[in-house]
Amino acid sequence: MNADILHLDNVTMQFGGVVAVNNLTLDVKEHEIVALIGPNGAGKTTAFNAITGVYEPTNGEISFCGKTVVRNHPQGKMKKLYAGLNADKYSGEVLKPTPDMLTKLGMARTFQNIRLWKSQTVFDNVLIAKHMLRTSNVFSATFRLNRQEEKQHREEVSELLKTVGLDDVKDDLATGLPYGKQRRLEIARALATKPKLLLLDEPAAGMNPQETNELTDFIGEIRDRFSLTVLLIEHHMNLVMDISDRIYVLDFGKLIAQGNPNEIQHNEKVIDAYLGVEKNA
Amino acid sequence: MKLANKTMNIFFIAGLYLTVFLLDIVPGVPPMLLTVLKKGVIFSLVAVSMNLLNGFTGLFSLGQAGFMLMGAYSYAVINISSSLKPVVYQYYSPFFNFSLTEVLGNALGGFGVVLGVTVSMIIAGLVAAFMAFLIGLPVLKLKSDYLAIATLGFAEIVRALIQLEALAPVTNGSQLLRGFPYFRGIFIPFIIVGICIAVIVLLINSTYGRAFKAIRDDEIAAEAMGINLASHKRLAFVISSFFAGVSGALLAMYQTTVQANTFKSAMTYEILLIVVIGGIGSVSGSCIGSFLFIACSEWWLRFLDNSNNNIFGLNILRSGFRMVVFSFVIMIMVLFFRKGIMGEREISSENIVKSVKSLICRIKKGRCNER
Ligand SMILES: Nc1ncnc2c1ncn2[C@@H]1O[C@H](COP(=O)(O)OP(=O)(O)OP(=O)(O)O)[C@@H](O)[C@H]1O
Ligand SMILES: [Mg+2]
Repeated sequence: MNADILHLDNVTMQFGGVVAVNNLTLDVKEHEIVALIGPNGAGKTTAFNAITGVYEPTNGEISFCGKTVVRNHPQGKMKKLYAGLNADKYSGEVLKPTPDMLTKLGMARTFQNIRLWKSQTVFDNVLIAKHMLRTSNVFSATFRLNRQEEKQHREEVSELLKTVGLDDVKDDLATGLPYGKQRRLEIARALATKPKLLLLDEPAAGMNPQETNELTDFIGEIRDRFSLTVLLIEHHMNLVMDISDRIYVLDFGKLIAQGNPNEIQHNEKVIDAYLGVEKNA
Repeated sequence: MKLANKTMNIFFIAGLYLTVFLLDIVPGVPPMLLTVLKKGVIFSLVAVSMNLLNGFTGLFSLGQAGFMLMGAYSYAVINISSSLKPVVYQYYSPFFNFSLTEVLGNALGGFGVVLGVTVSMIIAGLVAAFMAFLIGLPVLKLKSDYLAIATLGFAEIVRALIQLEALAPVTNGSQLLRGFPYFRGIFIPFIIVGICIAVIVLLINSTYGRAFKAIRDDEIAAEAMGINLASHKRLAFVISSFFAGVSGALLAMYQTTVQANTFKSAMTYEILLIVVIGGIGSVSGSCIGSFLFIACSEWWLRFLDNSNNNIFGLNILRSGFRMVVFSFVIMIMVLFFRKGIMGEREISSENIVKSVKSLICRIKKGRCNER
């Protein structure tokens, strides 16, 4: 069995009285494609934000590649306000890395509501993601002493754009692209950081069935080509069932089921909470 | 094709500098034009430095006058000739009797003076940059308006501190400082500013510049793609302040005197106005905006301040009326021309050729398709 690349232990995310993610324990093994599904407002995006450092969980622990990267428990005044299961277990040093630190460790993500850099071209959107891998400092970059590296990054970006099929629009403004291509570009941008774990937040949102099928193949392809692990949030059940090795189901912030696609499809709780009510998101 | 454009751009810039050089040596050039060019080029630098922060990094900072003041004072204090110090300073203290340019000039002759002035300008920039480094950490955590208020407050505090009596042996309190070396012509300021702006442009087009633009466009995405917000914002702030400091030193030379009172927040607003008029996110826009603004305020709109003139027989003109007109201009700009003269575009020989061509086409046929 492969090793855990990502492990969440009792991760809880509270906003005042709202418990958006409630004691979520989850693990993702190397080279797996794992899906996180659930009805609207179940807390999926919030879980992503906690994993990638956008939010600081109110309780729990997250490890990535065998190292604890996030840890928190309710302290002081917060104790009254925030519930924390096993809070003592997480009472070690509080770890709250900024998102860029986690990206440097090898996580990269896309966003549910596309967040491309609007004034930049397709090519530059991907090139900027390479900034993280620079060895130059501001002086050497300004005075062009990093030509070698710059050239190499540009070549890698061209290569990547060919791989994802955005080669022909590379000089267009990113926001001028059709929806499906913007989503692909976001994936390309995430890949440019050379991640180990790719987190996709509703990559097929707004896509037609054909585009969705293409995307399904595409995710499998990049997983193999870049030897990635993928954690994805999705409402398109065909895509999820086709592609996932395992599935976690959230409802009202709580994990209600986990298992392989077949198990999930026949799980009554899941059918009640989510699958039974056909969603047209 | 790309190479041809580059050569054209170089010719364009060389032509510009040749003109400036000729204006400097040919007699009979209106002195007002020289004043406008000299002051305009200094404001170009500070406007571009502000644009680096506000336009390219998306940090709405209003501390520019404060950093210019620090640059101007640093330059003046380390350069006032030792023989003039007892006259200039009200509370003269022989303890601080030192002039960098003089020391180097005595040791190395003419080259020493050039070196001294260059080094002092760099020191002026470094002092401002160091201050930016210190306040950057707390201040840059603030968002948009709060950042503007904090930096504006900082600039005012610096101005007040400089005038403290306790610092008078160094800063001469609220009295002015004079007796430091300055340039006579306009060519050398143009060269210095040209180099500084070239460095800023190189930075903007480097991987760091792209990261700044990413932060401006979407902070959350930038952070998720591994760009450390705190360090990059601080970097932009420090570099912008460095060049504001250098332009402060240049302004000191232009005025030949330094007094804290000139660096009021009104000055920051003027620079902001230049940036907005020129186009937020356009370096050449800031330069054009700067010359236009200075030409208006020093030359073309001077008549507005003269109460002996009147408009349509109405005697509404008086000292300060110019500023009223400027306020109107900025209101109109913000309401109708939010992108300024240049928007986010840059002037290049290619763009000029393109726009001239399209203009000719339009005159000829009434309409013309792109390219
Ligand atoms: N910053 C915040 N402050 C307060 N409440 C929040 C915040 N972010 C999310 N929430 C709440 O947390 C809950 C979960 O939201 P989340 O966006 O994670 O849902 P989701 O599962 O991604 O839904 P969808 O399928 O619609 O994307 C919602 O009730 C939301 O209102
Ligand atoms: Mg969501």
